[in-house]
Amino acid sequence: MILTVVRAMWLGLWRDRGALVLAFLFPPLLFIVFAEVFSGSTGEGLELNIAMADSANSSFSQQFVDSISAIDGFVLSPLSASDSDIDIESGLSEAVRTGQADAAIWIRTEPPRYPDSDLDGEAPVLVIGDSSKALAVAVVHGRLQALIQEQFPVLNVSRAVTLVDALVGPYSDEQQQSLEELIDELELESASGESDGSINAGSLIEQRMRQSEAGIDDDGGISYYAGAVAILFLLFSAMQGAISLIDERSSGIVDRLLAGPGGARVVVIGKGVFLTLQGLVQVSIIFAVAWWLFGIDWIGKFGLWLITALLAAASAAWLAMLMASLCQTRQQAQTASAFLVLILSAVGGSMMPRFLMPGWLRDLGWLTPNAWAIEAWQGVFWRGQGAAELWLAWLVLGASALIAMCISIILSTRMSRA
Amino acid sequence: MSEAQHSIILSIEQLCFDYPGRPVLQELDLALQHGELFALLGPNGAGKSTLIRALCGRLRPHKGSIQVSGLDPHRSAAARKSIGLVPQQIALYRHLTVFENLEVFARLAGVQRVRVSALAQQALDQCGLESVAGQIVSELSGGWQRRANIACGLVHEPALLVLDEPTVGIDLPARLAIEQLLTELSGQGMTQQMTILLISHDLEQVERLADRVGFLINGRMQHVGVPIELLSQQFGQMHEWHVQLEQKPNAADSELLNRLELQPEPAAGQLYWRGWLDEAQQAGARMQRLEQAQIAVREWRVRQPGLDSLWRTVYGMAQPESIDQTNEALAR
Repeated sequence: MILTVVRAMWLGLWRDRGALVLAFLFPPLLFIVFAEVFSGSTGEGLELNIAMADSANSSFSQQFVDSISAIDGFVLSPLSASDSDIDIESGLSEAVRTGQADAAIWIRTEPPRYPDSDLDGEAPVLVIGDSSKALAVAVVHGRLQALIQEQFPVLNVSRAVTLVDALVGPYSDEQQQSLEELIDELELESASGESDGSINAGSLIEQRMRQSEAGIDDDGGISYYAGAVAILFLLFSAMQGAISLIDERSSGIVDRLLAGPGGARVVVIGKGVFLTLQGLVQVSIIFAVAWWLFGIDWIGKFGLWLITALLAAASAAWLAMLMASLCQTRQQAQTASAFLVLILSAVGGSMMPRFLMPGWLRDLGWLTPNAWAIEAWQGVFWRGQGAAELWLAWLVLGASALIAMCISIILSTRMSRA
Repeated sequence: MSEAQHSIILSIEQLCFDYPGRPVLQELDLALQHGELFALLGPNGAGKSTLIRALCGRLRPHKGSIQVSGLDPHRSAAARKSIGLVPQQIALYRHLTVFENLEVFARLAGVQRVRVSALAQQALDQCGLESVAGQIVSELSGGWQRRANIACGLVHEPALLVLDEPTVGIDLPARLAIEQLLTELSGQGMTQQMTILLISHDLEQVERLADRVGFLINGRMQHVGVPIELLSQQFGQMHEWHVQLEQKPNAADSELLNRLELQPEPAAGQLYWRGWLDEAQQAGARMQRLEQAQIAVREWRVRQPGLDSLWRTVYGMAQPESIDQTNEALAR
């Protein structure tokens, strides 16, 4: 009997070509879009419009501006430097405020090449940004730091020397001469491209990049978003499928079936099993695309992936059936499902990585199947974990499916008795 | 008919069911015999749907008992298996073909896999659906969908077929075809006779089809019997007199119509009037009175009372005592 319901639902889906396309083609397409968009969110490939002004207007500052304009992803919009400082700053701020520029760089004075600058004075370079685009400011700042380190190490050395001079007393004439010879030598190396960046001004910026233990060519974004999109679509399509329970209730099909010997239990279990299988196929397609286009080690990790996929699909299917059992009308179910999917996906990390969220929201995320499914798939593909590390996520997904199934059956049985 | 054919298929005794603060079924009694077509009549809200849910086992009676083929449908899957329900809506999987729907509902009704195809084919034959067996339900006309709806209710050969408004919303030829089907299902010539419980608001259809009828009044089954006998008991030799006016009568005309013991039909804008006559011939003299008063009459007729007349009487749309009043008026 359960297989009969499964077959009826499969034929319904197979013959509704629109639903078929939405169920199996739309998810991998969206995954590709998400993967492309979000896997570049570390700053690589970003294109930033930057308003630029050079008040120093020297050959050295011009060389500095030229180097900035050569940074990949920076699109400079020069601002006239003939106005007063107040006009320049307000002009740059206005460009950022109105959105004409993502950030602004103002070279206010000649960057000091020799250690005679005043430490208490204002910084020669000012980056202006907007809090709504804090990431853009951070990227610009980081790129400038890297530029100075690689192409203008003399600026870092001069800054350090000036600092030492201020703290421990003036240099002797001989020391001063040696420093100036060293700085000239560094400038020559920079100009000839021979600088190896070994002079690091005391390692002002430190970066440490962790590589995948699974040994795949992935910065974590692909495997993350494959899982994130998969669980999002599992929920989305399961909710749509479960709404058919309400349609069948209003069309009298459920009345007819409930009058039969199987009752509500057969109807609900049959639908839940179908939605689980449908979800498994959806997830398979998404990860197959991730394997084919992005090199995820899907085949190598197939067993662990399959367990996670089956439990995630069951969890989504039975949560959807629970929602449908609680709703009286299609309208209710549509509203509830849209809300539920959006909330679970947002809090659970399907829309943005949870590490970017506030702590309380990260904790709340553990109440969603999204967080556990993503965590499990990240464990499989990114951290290279095995069953010993993944059991908790599997347990939570499986338990949520089981509990939702029991409540759905109880609710539907009660409904059938009303 | 053999003794077995006279056996009781549905037995309801002293059935009571309340919704919170509202009694719906009160000490309801009903017994249906094998092969009969019984029409359950009652206005919306009378409790017909509740009664169907109870006899399909979905509701536990607060008092009394229901037995289908000798078993309690609330407790026994076998009892529920012997019921075929045809809801008022087209309760079919719309993306499946007619034959696939028959297979699905046969399986869900507990038919063994090996028998499913044969029974689906039998249901196709019974309902005249062979020509559309392979068509998707959503692509069929309303009449074919109605037939398929019935076929899915009887595919598992139930002893009791419950039909809720099986001909609502379809054209005359389709309705006549379904009426023919119902006649055949409950009558001779079929491989297995069924007991049919029909719910319909089409009283002319009920009069044509039903072996017996029953009116659900205040949660009780009343006026149960063969239609022609019920009408005879209720109205004797009385005739119903209908008058349709050309235009709405003025106050003086209304007064005359009332003196002739005609009552306006509710919600008909005082264009339709109805009264009772001891003999059909009395209508002529009365029509002369209307003619003399220059009341323009579009149409008038005298007819034997039907189930609609009985409906009006039992549900208070025409006061039973008005019959006597009419007689008195006529005597005057």
